[in-house]
Amino acid sequence: MPFTTQRFQRRAFLRGTGVALALPWLESLAEGRQSPLPRRFCAVYFPYGIVDRQPGTPAAEWNWFPSSPGRNYQFNRSLAPLEALRSDLTVLGGLSHPKGRNMGGHDTADTWLTAAELKEGHLDNTVSVDQLAALHIGEETRYPSLVLSSDGGVGEPTRASTLSFTRTGQPVPADNRPGPVFERLFGLDDRSLEARRVSLDRSRSMLDLVLGHSHSLRSGLANHDKVKLDEYLESVRQIERRVERSRRWLEVPKPSVSASGLRLEADDTTPAELIRTMYDLIYLAFRTDSTRLATYQIGNMNGATSIAGKFPQLLGLSDNMHKLAHDARKGDAGAEPLGRWDTFLTRQFAYFLDRLKNTPEGDGTLLDRTVVLYGSSNSQTHVNLNYPLVLAGGRGLGFGHGRYLRFGDDAPMANLFVTILGSLGLPVEGFADSSGPLEQVLA
Amino acid sequence: MVCFAALPAAAVDEERLSGILERHCVACHGPAVQNADLRLDSLPAQFGGDRRAAEIWQDVLNVVGRGEMPPEGAPPLEAVDLDALLTSVRSLLAEGRVAARTDARPVVVMRRLNRAEYQNTMRDLLGLDIDYVRHLPPDQASRAGFRNNGAALRVSAQHLEHYLRAARDGLRRAIVTGPPPPVHEHTASETVVDKLKNMHWSSRLGRTGTFVARVPEFPDEGEFVIRIRARATMPEGDPYPRMRVVMGYRADTQTPSRTVAEVDVTDTGVQHFEFRGRIEEYPLQSRTQSKYPGLLIWISNFYSDGKAAPAGTRVSANGAGRDHWVWPVDQDFPSIVIEEVSFKAPVFESWPPAHHLSILPCKPGTPSDERDCLKQAARHFMRRAYRRPVGQRDLAPVMSHFDAVRPAVADFAEAAREALAVALVSPSFLYRVESSRQGQRLTDHQIASRLSYFLWSTMPDDRLLRLADRGALGRAAVLRGEVSRMLDSPRSQQFVAQFTDQWLDLQGVHRVAINPNYYPDFDPTLKADMVEETRHFVKAVLRDRLSALNFLKSDFTMLNQRLARHYGVEGPRGGAFKRVELSGSGRVGGLLGHGSVLLSNSTGEDSHPVERGVWVRTALLGDPPPPPPPAVPNLAQGGADSELLPVQEQLEMHRDSPACAHCHKDIDPWGIPLEGFDAVGLRREAVTRRSGNRVETHPVDAKTTLPGGVEVDGINELSAYLATEQRRRFARALVSRMLSYALGRDIQPPDSPAIDEMTGRFERAGYRLSDLCAIIVTSELFRQG
Repeated sequence: MPFTTQRFQRRAFLRGTGVALALPWLESLAEGRQSPLPRRFCAVYFPYGIVDRQPGTPAAEWNWFPSSPGRNYQFNRSLAPLEALRSDLTVLGGLSHPKGRNMGGHDTADTWLTAAELKEGHLDNTVSVDQLAALHIGEETRYPSLVLSSDGGVGEPTRASTLSFTRTGQPVPADNRPGPVFERLFGLDDRSLEARRVSLDRSRSMLDLVLGHSHSLRSGLANHDKVKLDEYLESVRQIERRVERSRRWLEVPKPSVSASGLRLEADDTTPAELIRTMYDLIYLAFRTDSTRLATYQIGNMNGATSIAGKFPQLLGLSDNMHKLAHDARKGDAGAEPLGRWDTFLTRQFAYFLDRLKNTPEGDGTLLDRTVVLYGSSNSQTHVNLNYPLVLAGGRGLGFGHGRYLRFGDDAPMANLFVTILGSLGLPVEGFADSSGPLEQVLA
Repeated sequence: MVCFAALPAAAVDEERLSGILERHCVACHGPAVQNADLRLDSLPAQFGGDRRAAEIWQDVLNVVGRGEMPPEGAPPLEAVDLDALLTSVRSLLAEGRVAARTDARPVVVMRRLNRAEYQNTMRDLLGLDIDYVRHLPPDQASRAGFRNNGAALRVSAQHLEHYLRAARDGLRRAIVTGPPPPVHEHTASETVVDKLKNMHWSSRLGRTGTFVARVPEFPDEGEFVIRIRARATMPEGDPYPRMRVVMGYRADTQTPSRTVAEVDVTDTGVQHFEFRGRIEEYPLQSRTQSKYPGLLIWISNFYSDGKAAPAGTRVSANGAGRDHWVWPVDQDFPSIVIEEVSFKAPVFESWPPAHHLSILPCKPGTPSDERDCLKQAARHFMRRAYRRPVGQRDLAPVMSHFDAVRPAVADFAEAAREALAVALVSPSFLYRVESSRQGQRLTDHQIASRLSYFLWSTMPDDRLLRLADRGALGRAAVLRGEVSRMLDSPRSQQFVAQFTDQWLDLQGVHRVAINPNYYPDFDPTLKADMVEETRHFVKAVLRDRLSALNFLKSDFTMLNQRLARHYGVEGPRGGAFKRVELSGSGRVGGLLGHGSVLLSNSTGEDSHPVERGVWVRTALLGDPPPPPPPAVPNLAQGGADSELLPVQEQLEMHRDSPACAHCHKDIDPWGIPLEGFDAVGLRREAVTRRSGNRVETHPVDAKTTLPGGVEVDGINELSAYLATEQRRRFARALVSRMLSYALGRDIQPPDSPAIDEMTGRFERAGYRLSDLCAIIVTSELFRQG
């Protein structure tokens, strides 16, 4: 039944956004073929924290956190754009990384997804939650993960311009220009394809030769040495499988996605377009099942050099991000400019959630099978406590929403990672300094 | 199964043996109670290849032979029974050994290069001193604490992926392409003044002061050289100032960096210093975004007399410009004056550089020459990498890969890199593959590898390979000559560091955190100096052909200025370690007096006599006590005020409990004589105990009765006792540990006769440590598969 109503509606929706999509395998899903639906995770970070004033004071209307916890909470102005999505999200207060509490006020963006400690010359990070997940579910897709930021690259320790760190704590370089990201996800650059084919072929050929040679060695070995050699051979086969997988994806045509309607030329001079386009790219990557994991750092805390620092000024606010955050703690008037910036960011985030929510998948929506974490590692500037966090989506993966949950200031945020990893099909005992799962966010 | 009929006439009266065990042992090691997890009534007398049973019989022989069993208070063994028991057990073990030789002879398992060996081998093979193991996971240690044990060393896909990357990366740097890269040079005679106003930027490095050179242009990789002209100012005879050179960059609030060198400045006239390294080993900033561009070289004075550096004084500008800071200058403090700093990178004598030419000496003129050129290069490279002659079968995969890659790349050198990388992920490189048959003599090339990984922790050099080619390593005289040559080479430092650390568990200093409330003057960097003291001491004993009994009792140690100051003895003026005579100094020589040993077996607040006792038995006597059984209460949990008690009373508390006493009566006495030393290895007359706010002081009580009944009081008497009464036991333990390290496998009961024999030779050689290396190398065990 290829022409379902559902598919028809999807076409109509895609045309509405100006992106034409041809997705053969989604159609096969609609035909009811038995293939498990994907589980996805996305994390979006903004720097320096939010307005957090004493409730009841005049400036508190710009507070990011709602005024009282529970199901019947009221949004203040900064998160108000999420009103229509409240049944799809939970506001989390109080969480932070215990080790982050001992770190420099602007040093914690690196550890938002890792819970590591970077201090006094010990600048080695540990694996981030998305990259840990990528080791498992990253195998399923063409790209294990999508790593984005406004500044791109890796930055410097404590001023990383990426949220993602490998198993050995190495920063994963972030992409910061929409054009190349689109090109990589959906472009058909024959030359680069060829170059990559050559490189993969080389590795494969080398591993084949090594395997062949090793087999010839094996016959002359004593039994106890054969056991050792077999361990080696199995390891070679494992990496050969990884190379093989990359090679296989080269043969699979990329999904055909038209760029019309996307602002691929958006850059740091047009922040609203840039942020929306980055969200569009994550959406499209998820939608086409090109990856199931994405991180996006809207800005880092390298106040001196981050190209994102000026975004508020480009939008007509009085100062750069860093100064807004500092001034937000001063006087009644200080809160408003940061509050307006917070509101702007929330609007972009709501746009992203809307796109996911408006895309059907299986019996639900794309949002239902995507866990989205949004927030920062400062509550107010220099305060590495009470991270402002929104957890959205994932209702089809076990999450229950509609509340503002308030935890004590000693609650480790890594508990949330344990629960998220579990929902992605990676039941872990713990992550970094977690003390258990955060079951309150489950349905 | 084992056939006893073929054995020499059995001397074992099994019935009598089990009768003696029944009367004296089984009450505590039998069906009802199994002290030390040991049950003797069901231990098979004919154990064949059952290694575990053999080990238990060996333990029985040891503890009964030393008089530690039956315990005090139990009826002693009568002389005839004792003799019968020891004779029977020895016979059982001998029979077992014969049986085991056929089905459980200890074997050397094919060994992967461990991290240190891989690092050294890649460095020597490629001629480039870079970090090849940064992302390689740590190695598993064997039960005896060695990290070169073939059975314990595993491999995973993570390892392989890393080896592949390191091979390509290393060869890409070793084999260059294209024209010589541009060279960047920068010279500074004055320090840069950083934006941090309250830092003391200066050319004079005293109690405060840092000289900073900012290098604007620098390459991303290649060798660099930093040259510094500097002089010292210090009162005559005072310690030397110590120059520390660090390179990195300024991030926003952090400064990722790495130390280039630390060196004494010994002359008041200008001295020239030169430091080299690979720039890619240092943190380099991203070029595009930095607020603080440039590579920074920080130079400071690392000498300290223990007093805090003075704070700067803020001088108000009173509205005219910015405030500034001034620092007091202490004219008498050993200081460094920097005259000039220069940086140059990349540096190379020729292009292509020597490391390129040593791997790829030929430059093919025509495409048809290329295969021959590569084949010739591969044959030479792989002979070194595989540590043996290579044949067509070895060359084939490298050449096939070259043929596959060559058409796709523009440059011959690029294809050569990729082809040679095949060799560096091959098991012939990553593993030490030896003879397939047990008991068979190793080939000369396998002996060359055993030698070089034993004494150098790296691949054989050209001389060893040539000797192996000539078949000369079968001769004991040649082996002895090579041992002597190898020990005199600076590479033997790698053996000293690896073996000493693993034998004595020296890295234990980093497991103990010294509590600053107890030791406010202790500088944690002294831990590294303490490790160096012990390594230099072992090195001196080895290099100067001294007796290994120095480890038990000695009249010297190796100190630098910092550690001598910590110990409170007269020492050298600088940071380099020198021999220091200890007579009359109040310190005691031998390993027991080393800070490394005393500190790593402390609680960080006080001595830990139990840990120290365990260490003595494990490291010096080769007799590690069994691990504590689960669910035994800690010393400190004995009662509300037990923390305030003198240590002997604390120890008596758990020796009163039969469950604890059984083991502790043979452990604690080895640690108690060291009570005169605190947690940071310093002499003390009194012991301070704290519990909450309460403090009590007790005089040191270092008097104890050792197993066997000898009374000793303090470290001097313990050292003297060990060096005389226990010297054979120590010698045997050292032979066994060094043999285990040399072979890369655990020592097992069937090895006993060989170890006894080697111990005898070691003894006759006056316990000279260097001779022990030669005894091991010329032994059958070392030369057989």
